Amino acid sequence: MDDEVQEVVTPPARTQKDTSLGYELYLNVRTLVFVLAVLILVFTFVVRVIVVSGESMENTLQNGDSMLVWCLGYTPKQGDVVVVTQRSYQNDSLVKRVIATEGQRVDIDYNTSTVYVDGEALQEDYIKEAMRVPNYGEGINHVTVPEGCIFVMGDNRNDSADSRYPDIGIIDTRCIIGRAVMVLFPFRDVTLL
Amino acid sequence: MNKRRAYNVYWLVWTGVMALTTAGVRLWQEATAFEGTYGLPIPGADASVVLVCVLMIAGASLGILAANQPVVAPPRTQTRGRRWDTSFAAMGDHIFLALMCASAFGSLASVPMLFGRGRAMWKAYQLAVSMKTWKGGDNGILSMATAVLALLAFFGLLQIGRESYRAGRRGRGGFWAALPACTGCGWLLDTYRNCAADPVLWDYVPLLLAVIAGMLMYIDWAGMSCVGARPRRTLWLAGVTVVCSCVALVSRPETGTTLLLISQTAAALAALWRLPINLQNPPKVGSQEKLTTSAVLAQEIEIPTENQEEDTHV
Repeated sequence: MDDEVQEVVTPPARTQKDTSLGYELYLNVRTLVFVLAVLILVFTFVVRVIVVSGESMENTLQNGDSMLVWCLGYTPKQGDVVVVTQRSYQNDSLVKRVIATEGQRVDIDYNTSTVYVDGEALQEDYIKEAMRVPNYGEGINHVTVPEGCIFVMGDNRNDSADSRYPDIGIIDTRCIIGRAVMVLFPFRDVTLL
Repeated sequence: MNKRRAYNVYWLVWTGVMALTTAGVRLWQEATAFEGTYGLPIPGADASVVLVCVLMIAGASLGILAANQPVVAPPRTQTRGRRWDTSFAAMGDHIFLALMCASAFGSLASVPMLFGRGRAMWKAYQLAVSMKTWKGGDNGILSMATAVLALLAFFGLLQIGRESYRAGRRGRGGFWAALPACTGCGWLLDTYRNCAADPVLWDYVPLLLAVIAGMLMYIDWAGMSCVGARPRRTLWLAGVTVVCSCVALVSRPETGTTLLLISQTAAALAALWRLPINLQNPPKVGSQEKLTTSAVLAQEIEIPTENQEEDTHV
């Protein structure tokens, strides 16, 4: 009896689902569009993936490494690896390490291959080899970092265009894209920075 | 008739006001909120703060307008998702047709510009690779892909105009909007690729927002012919597309980008012109199948759960 009631109250299917190729295609395009929009917004405001070009950060980063760069609300700190675009030098971005932030004094002694910040020698285990005087001369090697700026250098000190190079110089913090937080690719090099 | 026309007039007037205001503020920002030689932004500049506020006000006010948009649900059809099929029907509406043609030909005109730029970059890339001096960057593939997609968008937009103008014969013109949505995907990737190394967000975020708004509008437009009909959101996205496109246009982007922006602005204006009318007064046209379906439906049993499922999309 119950079964009979069930049959009476169950309405006939009024609608049928559109399963045409066009409908399936629409669903795929819609998914693509929404995912792409979200990804682009995230990769604009929150993080970016940037590929290292050059050897200036060896041995920390290799040419061709893909890095995840954190952009949202970043304030530069000494020792961070940052991505900057110095428009006075070139429109492509540079990957360097922050040596000093605003108000700090930087002194570079090429004889002992030592960098002093506010009079204290930095323990730099990350550099590739001992510093030599660059081919453009000593460049900027005694400076107090102005307000809103940072002093950056590559870990491969002898093959790095960085704040010592007069055409680049001290970097305005507004030129910072973000902080490199990890290497994503190649997988064998995946590591936190 | 005036009562029915009222809401599309509200949409057009308010969207126009917001578009002009935001464009004006953007010009003010460009004149005062960036430092001399290298164009770095001045932190907390008045114009930048005002521009953010005006954009938010535009989004919110268009949202309020969308929420108050009168919507008369069209009769159900046997195939789920085709209820809003004729929402862009515009029989004999020359203004809608003209706007869609402007949109289509704007898209078509951008093809040689985008393809030319992409081809030049591809040649430079090939040269750099052969000289082993390639250090990464844009190789032009995305520009050329966007050009091809813009060509497809031309056909899609033209087809929307044609099928809406002669909706008595076929009623699924909206589905073709998926083509310009695909163009938006290529365009968005190309735009992002070109500005990935730019630390000044204000240089490119207005353009990114315009492309995203346009892309979402087109996909919602296409959804009107499928199960994803959300007419109020479509209207809101059309308004936002016009506002964001105007902000991006006053920054004088390159010609190909300008033409694509004009194209999506014209399409959004066409939507704002026609959709409110059809939502207030659903057109009684469509294919022979739909007309037959409507007659059958008059005798059908009401199914509350399914009604709710469809109406939630409103």
